[in-house]
Amino acid sequence: MENALKECFSRAQEAEVTLEFDIPEKDFNNAGKGSSEVKNLLKRLGVESDILRRIAVASYEAEINVAAHSKGGKMMSLIYDDMIHIKFEDMGPGIGDIAQAMIPGFSTADDLVRELGFGAGLGLPNIQRNSDALHISSEAGESTLVEFLIFFT
Amino acid sequence: MSDINYFHAIQILEDNCTGCTACVRVCPTEAIRVRDGKATIDTNRCVDCGNCVAVCKFHAIIPSSDPLDIIHKFKYKIAIISSSFFGQFTEDISYGVAKQAVLELGFDEVAEEAMVTEFMIGMIRDYIRANRDKRPTLSSNCPAVVRLIQVQYPALLPNLFHQEAPMSILTRFLRDKVAQREKLSESEIGIFLIVPCVAHVTAVHQPEGAYKHLQDGAFSTGMIYGKVREIVKRIQNDPKDIDTYPQGLTWALSGVQADLVDCEDIRALSVNGVENVMDILSKVEDHYLDQYDYIVLRSCTNGCVGGCLNVENPFVAMSRIKKMIKEGESKDINVDELEALYAKGDFAVVPLTPRPIMELDKDIKHAIKKMKRINEFLTMLPGLNCSACGSPTCYALAEDIVQGKATIDDCVILLKRQNKDDDED
Repeated sequence: MENALKECFSRAQEAEVTLEFDIPEKDFNNAGKGSSEVKNLLKRLGVESDILRRIAVASYEAEINVAAHSKGGKMMSLIYDDMIHIKFEDMGPGIGDIAQAMIPGFSTADDLVRELGFGAGLGLPNIQRNSDALHISSEAGESTLVEFLIFFT
Repeated sequence: MSDINYFHAIQILEDNCTGCTACVRVCPTEAIRVRDGKATIDTNRCVDCGNCVAVCKFHAIIPSSDPLDIIHKFKYKIAIISSSFFGQFTEDISYGVAKQAVLELGFDEVAEEAMVTEFMIGMIRDYIRANRDKRPTLSSNCPAVVRLIQVQYPALLPNLFHQEAPMSILTRFLRDKVAQREKLSESEIGIFLIVPCVAHVTAVHQPEGAYKHLQDGAFSTGMIYGKVREIVKRIQNDPKDIDTYPQGLTWALSGVQADLVDCEDIRALSVNGVENVMDILSKVEDHYLDQYDYIVLRSCTNGCVGGCLNVENPFVAMSRIKKMIKEGESKDINVDELEALYAKGDFAVVPLTPRPIMELDKDIKHAIKKMKRINEFLTMLPGLNCSACGSPTCYALAEDIVQGKATIDDCVILLKRQNKDDDED
């Protein structure tokens, strides 16, 4: 990854607006509310609709991922005047093979998740396709951090 | 903010308004505020859904439609009746009698929205197949939905079905045809709609996307209902033979309309009720409903039968219309002329433009500043969303304060707490 992009993941400058949401394990009634709030806030800031759509898709997928695969976690949105940085941190159990998880169609979703219409194995690929930069850190048995950047222009 | 003055077919009678805030809480676009004890509507935000008209218990928010006597300004008078109209009568009053009664209000000719339903279904299917790149196509017949998309979901404007609605198609067609047949100039013919909702009244007076002014006025079902019932009493025992189009009445029911468009290569979804419509539009925005080719969106419960200017309950009206569709037989209509006009592009509308209301500021840096100030005020406010201040929620009040339209002293709860503190001192 380019250094300039890397720097964006750890900007010294504080975010202008931050939003935080809890994502409880397997709570599909509420999963999606965090990304929907973020979308509404960005609409108020006048972010262009095409970019808004990409943010909405990427954050929704990531939110569902946390609800479906982890023991719960949180979503933190850092909004700057030129970009949004969204971090999803969960309480495990971690991704064993990140490269495999990135393959479209690959999924470890259990029966409950599939029954609800999720688990098609397109979550991470969709996040990658819609974001300007994606960073994942995880290990089996550990917590997972999925974070991505989307620029407003 | 926009410089256009938006017309709305809703009127507030200040003398009747008690400032109760019921309307403030049901407005889907947060367009209403109570200030100085009276409700006011932000004309940029209002989409004419009619929720406030339906909820007001004090007759302070009333629909405005045209007075019936304006028809006499024209030599030849035509009424076009919305399909939902025929669900408003008890079952002892036949479809034909109800239609004849409208004619006897003083019209020379009565047409029905239902006459072009079959043509519309064909046109919608054709349009969907030609515009697969803008999937899903969103229905544009409900003027409240069109306006809602303009103000809150502008990204979806290209998805709207960019052709005229059935009553406007009929208007164009009849004006031409009747002028020739009766040897009249187009301006001597008055064409009026009988409509179930305020959004349709607004659309007649300020159409979105129309290339030219179409109708000469709109009358609400509720307003003419009393007179129609009187005439019905008189003619019921000696009805004339009159053409009816029961199979076309499906247009009044959003669910049935979606079923009709649905076919082998077109998957259709039906949604009604403004809250449901907003939820679905938000999902379409995020591409979660891309599996659909067509979505029928109606702001009122069950579709046009739920319009706030109707007199019958939307479920009862729906059941009656379904019965008519099942039992009746439509007169055949030759749609060749309509097909030809469609092929010529005569029914196309001007690309619909956004009317954004969501942005706090044109400049994102200023918008962020405002957002921060809103959040500051929000932490001070009690978070009860009680609307007692006259804004729908604490968030809306915080935004009103930042936009200079209210002050923190408008919060009744804070004022009460302050008085209590003062008393204790």
